[in-house]
Amino acid sequence: MIEIERLTKRYGDTTVVDDVSFGVEEGTITVVVGTSGAGKSTLLRMINRLVEPTSGRVLIDGQDTRSIPEDDLRHRIGYVIQGYGLFPHRTVAQNIATVPRLLGWDRKRIADRIEELLDLYQLDPAEFATKFPHELSGGQQQRVGVARALAARPELLLMDEPFGALDPVIRAKAQDDLLAIQRRLRATIVLVTHDMEEAFHLGDRIAVMDQARLIQYGPPAELLTRPAEAFVERLVGTADRPFRLLSLAKVEDALEPGLAEGEPVAASGTLYEALSRLMWCGRQDLPVADGTGSVIGRVSITGILAYGRSA
Amino acid sequence: MASPHWTLSPDRLGSMVAVLIGIALYAAPFVTYRANRIAAGAARSIFEALPPTTAFVLVGAALSVAIVAIFVRRSIVRLAAASLGLVVIAPCVGLSAGFVTPAGNTFARVSPALGFWLLGLAFSLLVADALTRLRLGPWARLGALSIAAAAMALLLFSGAWDGLSILKEYATRADSFWSEARRHVLLAIGSLAAAVAVGLPLGVLCHRAPRLRAAILQVLNVIQTIPSIALFGILMVPLGYLAAFPLAAALGIHGIGAAPAFVALFLYSLLPVVANTVVGLDHVPATVVDAARGMGLSNRQRLFDVELPLALPVILAGIRIVLVQNLGLATVAALIGGGGFGTFVFQGIGQTAIDLVLLGAIPTVALSFAAAVILDAAIELSNGTSQ
Amino acid sequence: MSRRAVMIRLTALIMLLAFISAPNLFAPVFEPLTTNNAPAIYNQGNLLFLTMAHLGTVFSAALASTLVAVLLGVLVTRPSGVEFLPLSRSLVSIGQTFPPVAVLAIAVPLVGFGEKPTLIALFLYGLLPIFENTLTGLTQVSPLTLDAAKGMGMGPTRRLYEVELPLALPVILAGIRLSVVINLGTATIGSTVAAKGLGEVIIAGLQSNNTAFILQGGLVVALLAVLIHDGLMMFERLLVRRLGLGPAAA
Repeated sequence: MIEIERLTKRYGDTTVVDDVSFGVEEGTITVVVGTSGAGKSTLLRMINRLVEPTSGRVLIDGQDTRSIPEDDLRHRIGYVIQGYGLFPHRTVAQNIATVPRLLGWDRKRIADRIEELLDLYQLDPAEFATKFPHELSGGQQQRVGVARALAARPELLLMDEPFGALDPVIRAKAQDDLLAIQRRLRATIVLVTHDMEEAFHLGDRIAVMDQARLIQYGPPAELLTRPAEAFVERLVGTADRPFRLLSLAKVEDALEPGLAEGEPVAASGTLYEALSRLMWCGRQDLPVADGTGSVIGRVSITGILAYGRSA
Repeated sequence: MASPHWTLSPDRLGSMVAVLIGIALYAAPFVTYRANRIAAGAARSIFEALPPTTAFVLVGAALSVAIVAIFVRRSIVRLAAASLGLVVIAPCVGLSAGFVTPAGNTFARVSPALGFWLLGLAFSLLVADALTRLRLGPWARLGALSIAAAAMALLLFSGAWDGLSILKEYATRADSFWSEARRHVLLAIGSLAAAVAVGLPLGVLCHRAPRLRAAILQVLNVIQTIPSIALFGILMVPLGYLAAFPLAAALGIHGIGAAPAFVALFLYSLLPVVANTVVGLDHVPATVVDAARGMGLSNRQRLFDVELPLALPVILAGIRIVLVQNLGLATVAALIGGGGFGTFVFQGIGQTAIDLVLLGAIPTVALSFAAAVILDAAIELSNGTSQ
Repeated sequence: MSRRAVMIRLTALIMLLAFISAPNLFAPVFEPLTTNNAPAIYNQGNLLFLTMAHLGTVFSAALASTLVAVLLGVLVTRPSGVEFLPLSRSLVSIGQTFPPVAVLAIAVPLVGFGEKPTLIALFLYGLLPIFENTLTGLTQVSPLTLDAAKGMGMGPTRRLYEVELPLALPVILAGIRLSVVINLGTATIGSTVAAKGLGEVIIAGLQSNNTAFILQGGLVVALLAVLIHDGLMMFERLLVRRLGLGPAAA
């Protein structure tokens, strides 16, 4: 559990982060979103004390971060930035080994961990371990950057625009990879982005910042249904609000009893996907199957539309 | 973020300058007195070297500069204080020459000693730091250079320094000083002009024919690596043979003297000129060249109207390197009879007469420095117009 | 470097070694340059000894310059030394307008004739390119890389030794090469102030009007400079490749 309490940062007369508080549950992704200059990066950098707060504090599992020596704190917190900051004079393996080496892990343990992480990221250790960063593609560099941050099993992973330097196709893949790995490792992540799509895609909770202040903090659906300010409404966009909502809801949320003709849709899929299927095959309803493949009910266009209105 | 204009927490650089001033005032002699040109020197402190009131003014001025250096951070104030310091010590050292030398003694020599040099160094450091922080534009820098040059000229021609040893050396060599100066400048600038005349076309050729580029640049690189005196020596052999032909001799080609020096400086100058021309042309944006071609500019028009003007700042940077380098290397030409300020330097070394060495070295340094400032300004100005 | 270029340099090296260890073998080559039965080969000292003395002066000065210049460069790029950074940059560019000969000439009256003024001039003048390149190298390390290093909990000392210095190394080495090459030339002029070195051969030739001496001295110094320059360059490339910095960083 990470608790951010009344964090404030001032440079001279300008306040960059103004009295921000929120909590991050273990094993979840919190996305901090806002326009550039809103203070998102400064907020993130106060968590690992790359920026010292003017006032306020950060607690990790109840422990005040100011009571931990700076470098020790950073060994416990993974850090990924836009452009990744890989060491150009070190191989992929040496880059990943950075924090474990600082922590004094033995050689064998480091080697095992490197192999594990490269496997996890589908980078063949035999091929990639000895490569230098300038020999990698953008997507590969990004994966090494995240692997390096995860190397010492940090309690928390901070990511500042980690996908900002990738082109759209690779970005979508990288986001899915991050989600898969996060679910698998149950990692706690705080991620900063200016991209609302990314926030909705990745965030268990979203924190919206504007002009140094935290405007709203809650699950993605709440931002859509109960935007705290006009700014949030503008940011999420009113035109396709129902569609965003449907892409956040699961098929099981609009499950109706009864039977239907056709190929079943998965109960764990989103309503957005289900609606898209229904429109495409020109049916009013389709059967719904659970993880084991057995039909547990049906989903209909009217049911989905009703769900969209009710939210 | 606004920084305070003055502060009670001392500035580190300023404190260093103040320490230098302190040493200069209390622990170092201001001038050296020698009974004759090559006799051993005797140290004279500020109070021994100047009339009491002048000495007090000098010490007071120096201490004020030290205080400003420590406590005031505003660059313009520091600049003013340090310049004032320089304006005070420069005539003082001239004055002390008259004060220390017994009346009517024409053999005695007075030269600035460690204390004077330290004060000069301390004030100049402060001036340099302030000027750097002020980030003057090119015209302002040229203005500052002209003011400094005018101040020097005033000191030299007003006779304020005539009592100093170095100017006595000058007085006995006034004629040869100016002819060597002309030689020095001609060698440096003439070889530069020749190098530009040859190097520019060569650079364009290298740019257009990549196959030639590696070979030409490699040869020029090797030449650049050869130490000056060695290259002078090597060139004396073929030029010596040439001189055996009456026509060549009539053209002033000799194995010894200015010819090998000129050729060597010319060869040294080629690399920066050619390499920078190539780099400058390489960096002209491809879209601009493409647009020029699309508008129907001929090869020649493209080169003169588009590519060369855009490459100008980089080419000028090459010329700056060459000019500063040539002004320095021309000193060595004296060793092979090529003349220039080096003549005084090497004569001075031979006679262990430091003032004679300085008579050759100081103008060389001043010329190189002025050349660097002027060309830096020109590069910046050409950058402004070509972008 | 191409195969042919390596062969040319290897041949040059062998010729150079042969000449300085047994110069008399080459007497017939230089004979035509002499007049009045003057000696064709330098006979006032041992060439091998002069070469060693020359190299000794150059490299000991370069070593001292490197230590001091890198130390100063590191100091003025630390947060506590940053007040001195703008001035240091100006001083370096002003300092480089001083011709090496002037530095040498001014050192003589201060410390007398011999090795000392030469060493002082080489040391002082050699500082500039190394210091300048150390500054360039250290300040051009990507702020992103440094931020990442800091974010992973590397302290300032570790960042300096493990990130900043290795990344700046190619540029620093280029500065050392420049410094050594300039010093080889200045050391030659050092012979005018009675320092032991290869300049003696050229000076002796100039004084006795013996073109053979001048050419020998000139060729030996020139070959030495070119070979040392290329040798250092090869060493740099090797190191850059081992550091994985790729050809672009050189």
